[in-house]
Amino acid sequence: MAEKIQHIRKMEVSEEEQRQQDLREIEDALIENKDVILKSLSTLQHAEERGVISLLHGLFADGDKVLKVLVDTMNNEENTTSIRNLLLLLGVAGRVEVEKLEPILLKVNDGLRRVGEESDTEEKVGYMDVIKSLKDPEVNRAVTLLLTFLKGMGQQTEQDMKTGKETPDQKM
Amino acid sequence: MTDKIEIEVNGEKVSGDNGQSALEFLHGKNEDIPSVCYHPSLGAIETCDTCIVEKNGEMVRACSSEIDSGDVLNTMSKEVKEARKVAIDRILYNHELYCTVCDYNNGGCEIHNTVKEMQVEHQSVPFEPKPFEKDSNSFYRYDPDQCILCGRCVEACQDVQVTETLTIDWERERPRVIWDNDVPIEESSCVSCGHCSTVCPCNAMMENGMEGEAGYMTGMAEDTLRPLIDITKGVETGYSSILAVSDMEASMRESRIEKTKTVCTYCGVGCSFDVWTKGRDILKVEPQQEAPANGISTCVKGKFGWDFVNSEERLTKPLIRDGQSFREAEWKEALGLIKQKFTKIKEEHGADALSFISSSKCTNEESYLMQKLARGVIGTNNVDNCSRYCQSPATMGLFRTVGYGGDSGSITDIQQADLVLTIGSNTSESHPVLATRVKSSHKLREQKLIVSDLRKHEMAQRSDLFIRPESGTDLIWLSAVTKYIIDQGWADETFMAENVNGVEEYKETLEPYTLEYASEMTGISQEDLIQTAEMIHESGKVCILWAMGVTQHQGGSDTSTAISNLLLVTGNYGKPGTGAYPLRGHNNVQGASDFGSMPDRFPGYQFVTDEEVRGSFEQAWNTKLPEHAGLNNHEMVDAIHEGTLKSMYLKGEDMGIVDSNINYVHSAFEKLDFFVVQDLFLTTTAQFADVVLPASPSLEKEGTFTNTERRIQRLYQVLEPLGGSKPDWEIIMAIANELDAGWEYSHPSDIMAEAAALTPIFAGVSYERLEGYHSLQWPVHADGTDEPMLFAERFPFEDGKARLYPVEWTEPVQYEEEYDLQVNNGRLLEHFHEGNMTYRSRGITRETPRAFVEVSPQLAEERSLRDGTVVRLVSPYGAVKLPCLVTERVQKKEIYIPLNDDGNGAVNQLTSSYADKDTDTPAYKEVRVKMEILQEKGSSPLPKINHRFGNPQPQIGVQVEKKWQRQDYTFPGDAVKGGR
Repeated sequence: MAEKIQHIRKMEVSEEEQRQQDLREIEDALIENKDVILKSLSTLQHAEERGVISLLHGLFADGDKVLKVLVDTMNNEENTTSIRNLLLLLGVAGRVEVEKLEPILLKVNDGLRRVGEESDTEEKVGYMDVIKSLKDPEVNRAVTLLLTFLKGMGQQTEQDMKTGKETPDQKM
Repeated sequence: MTDKIEIEVNGEKVSGDNGQSALEFLHGKNEDIPSVCYHPSLGAIETCDTCIVEKNGEMVRACSSEIDSGDVLNTMSKEVKEARKVAIDRILYNHELYCTVCDYNNGGCEIHNTVKEMQVEHQSVPFEPKPFEKDSNSFYRYDPDQCILCGRCVEACQDVQVTETLTIDWERERPRVIWDNDVPIEESSCVSCGHCSTVCPCNAMMENGMEGEAGYMTGMAEDTLRPLIDITKGVETGYSSILAVSDMEASMRESRIEKTKTVCTYCGVGCSFDVWTKGRDILKVEPQQEAPANGISTCVKGKFGWDFVNSEERLTKPLIRDGQSFREAEWKEALGLIKQKFTKIKEEHGADALSFISSSKCTNEESYLMQKLARGVIGTNNVDNCSRYCQSPATMGLFRTVGYGGDSGSITDIQQADLVLTIGSNTSESHPVLATRVKSSHKLREQKLIVSDLRKHEMAQRSDLFIRPESGTDLIWLSAVTKYIIDQGWADETFMAENVNGVEEYKETLEPYTLEYASEMTGISQEDLIQTAEMIHESGKVCILWAMGVTQHQGGSDTSTAISNLLLVTGNYGKPGTGAYPLRGHNNVQGASDFGSMPDRFPGYQFVTDEEVRGSFEQAWNTKLPEHAGLNNHEMVDAIHEGTLKSMYLKGEDMGIVDSNINYVHSAFEKLDFFVVQDLFLTTTAQFADVVLPASPSLEKEGTFTNTERRIQRLYQVLEPLGGSKPDWEIIMAIANELDAGWEYSHPSDIMAEAAALTPIFAGVSYERLEGYHSLQWPVHADGTDEPMLFAERFPFEDGKARLYPVEWTEPVQYEEEYDLQVNNGRLLEHFHEGNMTYRSRGITRETPRAFVEVSPQLAEERSLRDGTVVRLVSPYGAVKLPCLVTERVQKKEIYIPLNDDGNGAVNQLTSSYADKDTDTPAYKEVRVKMEILQEKGSSPLPKINHRFGNPQPQIGVQVEKKWQRQDYTFPGDAVKGGR
């Protein structure tokens, strides 16, 4: 006769047995990963020496709070604008063609040098002097360059821009 | 009409298949056309406008635009691109892009991918939240602020699942998805089938299991998350950089989220899908289009009902009876005890004193090993499985007439039939996904539906003709309709002449079944009988679906035979869209028998009494095998009472709840000398055991299941076995080897290879051919070809012809007059069987906490019953105590008891030991009771959040025309051409 029973006596593993079993598992894992563990330990030692561990400890122990403070700090207009500007500038920097810029920069440097040399002069330049100086090949080259630059600057660039907004359209 | 057409795409001539939309054609040519709302399983929805192309100079939606030879398509013009930009802008106005902290950022987000593909850097209209709150039930949530109003969910709900809960209210200023007539999800008719969250292109409809779990940063508290989203938007310089970061995060997720294919265990439809897991947590179930039986479809159990796997109550160690309790033991001790007892009983009483019962929830390989253990190791044919409780009569009826005991075709055949006739099948609750195919064909493709049932369930409500015969009289009306069809000259004489034997003899036996007689005996009017016959006659392709309402009667096999006879007479076999479909109830009812756990058959239905067959098994297993057939389940219980059967080893079946007349079964269990039960939980049956072995459920093992379509599908291991539990096949092998069998299976594929080699109908079955979502429908020939549709060439009898098999009506069990109520019983959508698995789902149990008894308004009036009245129902065999639910689903003095209870409400305390005369399947449906009121008032057994109290809103699709009619809508194609 086997009557219906519902009670289950759980297998009792004594604390000591459980401890032995857990230790054994840990030991196995240590032996299996000996090299990487030893290396990690020395890395940790360096980290401790430089105070990194306690820093990380604080960060992780109160992770949610830290994250919230961080996120709240970042989330004001000044900060988001600066991050945005930074990202935009990076984008622009990526598109500057340095090879073409180089000769111009050299020329600008020359110009600056002369200005430095002659900055103290009392001489005044008259209207006719300006026209006359255009005949000077050095001046003429510089003016042509500037005009070409201005022309390029006036060209449409909207299609390349990342910052512009178009006019609102249908919503649905 | 030619099959190939040639068109011009962007100036180049391209040829392709005819009959496609422009979108299908272009996708087929690997053209990148954005298509946010389009889903191949749903077809064109036309809400998102992102797939605009220019066809013959005109702007059109590619998804809904048919193409024809000579058409000229442009997919890259400036205007096309501008129009698409307008479309995506409108989407982004409705959906906030915070991909990196979104749980849906798993590589499959249509919006993310489209924005990236279209290289959108900015939206013209900023996102604006909608004035609605998030809403959720126990299983999924809706976030209006993320909803882009694509309507996929509505299409799926209305036209695939056909529960008809979801619509989009296009009238309000900011449209949204609404449930029923705009009620919270929990108060609606939503059955939580999960279609909406499966097809949602983004995170608007999402499984609760995903929320806060899928991403690395998505579990963040809301007050940290919000500023983070704002920062992301504040610093944005264009979407490409944001998307790059979110793509990176999505790839990181792959390392910790596993996606594993499995096959559902909740019914015989055989849905397959991927399960997403993170450790042991199930994030979601993700059906795949390529899944052969179900595609994108699931029901609430398959999509959300897996909590039981991680239940605290799972058994994790073998249990051994020790006085008044079980004690946990090591496997070694349990196996040693089993060896000792099995050996002793066999020595003292012979091999036939032992018995073995397989489970229709376990795999084919496990069914095979169980019968091999019984026959090859112990030496007895006393092996059976629980399909004895449901489907053996259907198999018998088909063996008699057409030669194969399985569905004649596939679910797609049912889908394309002109007429579906269901008999004794609560299809939308018992086979929910299969029912969706009938419901949608009926709703959208003019399929006709006749339902014969006692109870006015959902299918009956949807039917064109609903007939309500007296319980147990189906054979009579089926025979009368067959006779009427023959008498009218509507029989398919050509088909019968070529394919069927015994026609004239059969016709003679129909003599008594006149319309008058049938109407008198069944209570169905003659008009309805004639209309049934006419509808069958007028339909070119007929499928008949039946289930427990037919089989669980004393004449269950005969009624199943009558169904098959009717199909033969009308020529409805061997053609697409026709045939017999005994809907298998459990995931592997078909396979448990297919693979030999039957007292008289080896795998593949080969007789144990056939010497040649036995010889081949003896040779393969290298042992002598018993020659005579063994006992079936039903006979086993009798044999225990008689004292000849001493031991039982039963796995994966709560027989003490699901067998009929369970008081008789329980007293048998008590008499056993040695009883081993293998299960996930300490079930009622296990409580009688001497040894309980902890098994692993389907998610923790590999193997194959065979669904109702005879479709063999592989399941892969999703999780490690919990604690010390083991897959059943490993346990059976351990027992066999404890008994020195020396089995050496290292993987279920080894078992399948052995079974295939010994079984002609599985000759070509192999794990390689079943890789991933591939499947095979038996018979499978050695070269790997299978037979999705049977009988196209011949019937599997010697002369290739089917047989009309005369049958006679068997009167149902008669009761004394005091037992005045007819008891019908069956499933509920939400629960499975006695509920060992589904009651462990918190969400399901919240919606449907317990079993009850449905009573009709007439009976309620007569006996002063109301929702919550507690009654005792008494049959000659036992009694149950249940709360009432008053509903028009039942009528007069007929009551309905869901079988989902393992306590005071377990219906099998009422059922008898009467059984089908040919197969011993219990006559569960032939029960009458008397009622006593125990407590007049009580709370309703169904909480208000149950879907049965909802108000569905049927419509076809999402009704995009209403969107187009809005004042603020212009077709982007026109906006671009007209406006600029």
